[in-house]
Amino acid sequence: MTSEVIHREEFGDVAVLHILTNSVDAVSASAIEATATASAMRPITVLDFANVAFINSAGISALLKFVVSAKKSGYTLYAMNVTPHHQKVFKMVEMSRFMPPIEERDLAAYR
Amino acid sequence: MQRVLVNIPSVPIFERVIRASADEVGRALGFSAERIEDLKLAVSEAVNNAIDHGNQRQPGKLVEVVFALDSDKLEVHIRDEGDGVDHVDFSRRIVEDHNLDAGMHRGFGMYLISALVDDCEVSSSQSGTTLTLRLYRKDNDHDE
Repeated sequence: MTSEVIHREEFGDVAVLHILTNSVDAVSASAIEATATASAMRPITVLDFANVAFINSAGISALLKFVVSAKKSGYTLYAMNVTPHHQKVFKMVEMSRFMPPIEERDLAAYR
Repeated sequence: MQRVLVNIPSVPIFERVIRASADEVGRALGFSAERIEDLKLAVSEAVNNAIDHGNQRQPGKLVEVVFALDSDKLEVHIRDEGDGVDHVDFSRRIVEDHNLDAGMHRGFGMYLISALVDDCEVSSSQSGTTLTLRLYRKDNDHDE
């Protein structure tokens, strides 16, 4: 599935959702939220932030939709390629408890 | 003191204009990359708050942002044209299970502001609210 803000990649039990917008904010929030459905996710779902340069609280709010969808489905959600600044912000609001970091190499076993 | 003034209509896309200005001002002051990111996020939160809560997203109402560059600090004043507020809550807000279940996914902005800048204050009247953010220059900052 390719949408305006997310490119979805799936292999086995893993879905990697590559965020394409560089600004996860009030402008992109609704499009991001629209993709946060259980059908877009797999038992292991990874949000890839490689292209993301900015996240604010409106963006965090949108990302929490993925947390809620994953929780409802019993899926595990991870974050990949998060900048040190965004890691700091995620820790400040304790987002990282619900979306811990994962490395690309950790996914190799599933490919 | 040098001042940079930017006015935007209360439309979310224009928050990005203020954010880009904050980036340039931070660079001009020689702030570190991490401090510039802190500045951008704090200003972004304040401007979104002014757009959403102060001006109720009425495009005809402006958000005025003044960057006041001083030798020892940067002050950012973010002013809306709303009806004023009685109280602003800067208390710590985190993601919690019961909030997720209740669909309460917002409200982190003021806490983030208070945690990312050196100090901040609010003044409010019936003609609008001004949030002032301060970041003091540190020894490892350098002039461009």
